[in-house]
Amino acid sequence: MTSASITYDLYFAHAPERVWRALTDRDAIARWLMPNDFEPRVGHHFTFQTTPMPALNFDGVCRAEVTACEPPRLLTYTWVGGALRTLVSYRLEPEGAGTRLRFEHSGFDLSDPIQQASYRGLQGWGAGLDVALRREVDALAAAEA
Amino acid sequence: MHDDRQAEVFAAIAHPMRRRILDLLAERERPVHDLARHFGVSRPSVSQHLRILLAAGLVEEQRQGRERRYRLTPQPLAQIQAWLAHYERFWPERLQRLGGYLDAEEEHT
Repeated sequence: MTSASITYDLYFAHAPERVWRALTDRDAIARWLMPNDFEPRVGHHFTFQTTPMPALNFDGVCRAEVTACEPPRLLTYTWVGGALRTLVSYRLEPEGAGTRLRFEHSGFDLSDPIQQASYRGLQGWGAGLDVALRREVDALAAAEA
Repeated sequence: MHDDRQAEVFAAIAHPMRRRILDLLAERERPVHDLARHFGVSRPSVSQHLRILLAAGLVEEQRQGRERRYRLTPQPLAQIQAWLAHYERFWPERLQRLGGYLDAEEEHT
């Protein structure tokens, strides 16, 4: 199985405790991510509600389970929806007066076309298509715009 | 685009050889033997991939005498790209909102 992940390395000018609260408070999560019924304890099952995508056999519900919860430095949960069986992780480290956040969404199975498409979509389009083809599609998109 | 068609297009472009075929057809239309020569494989093997691309609406077939020529029809890819463009912004946008949320919260405390 060929597996891939999406990573972001971010700095926030806020203490880790404050960032941790934004990542683990139900109302806070709903404001920046999605409506949910999260609880900050390992083994808690919860869901995110988002837009259904019938073409990808996705009913709009991300099922999740907290797999690590170590305030204020590590939070991981599984992210299961449609064809996806993935893992989201947040690693926090104090940096100066702020916080370094290492975000990772991992476990995309690239041998599955739908997971591959989701991965490419979540990560950014372009990795899968070769040069001449991408030029063609860009030209088409420009003509339609 | 119908949902079934969209899934077909995803499946069609999931295979590296089929993407390479589309890439060659993006340069110009070609007959099967020309494509087969590029890959060093048999014509039936290329034809099998072409059938999947035809079903997904990504190529068109034209008879010229005894020869069949294939041409790229990229419209379905443009629709897929529009769909993916929404998702390619998902995490960057959400994480930016996280930053915005933290900044706004600080102003209130």
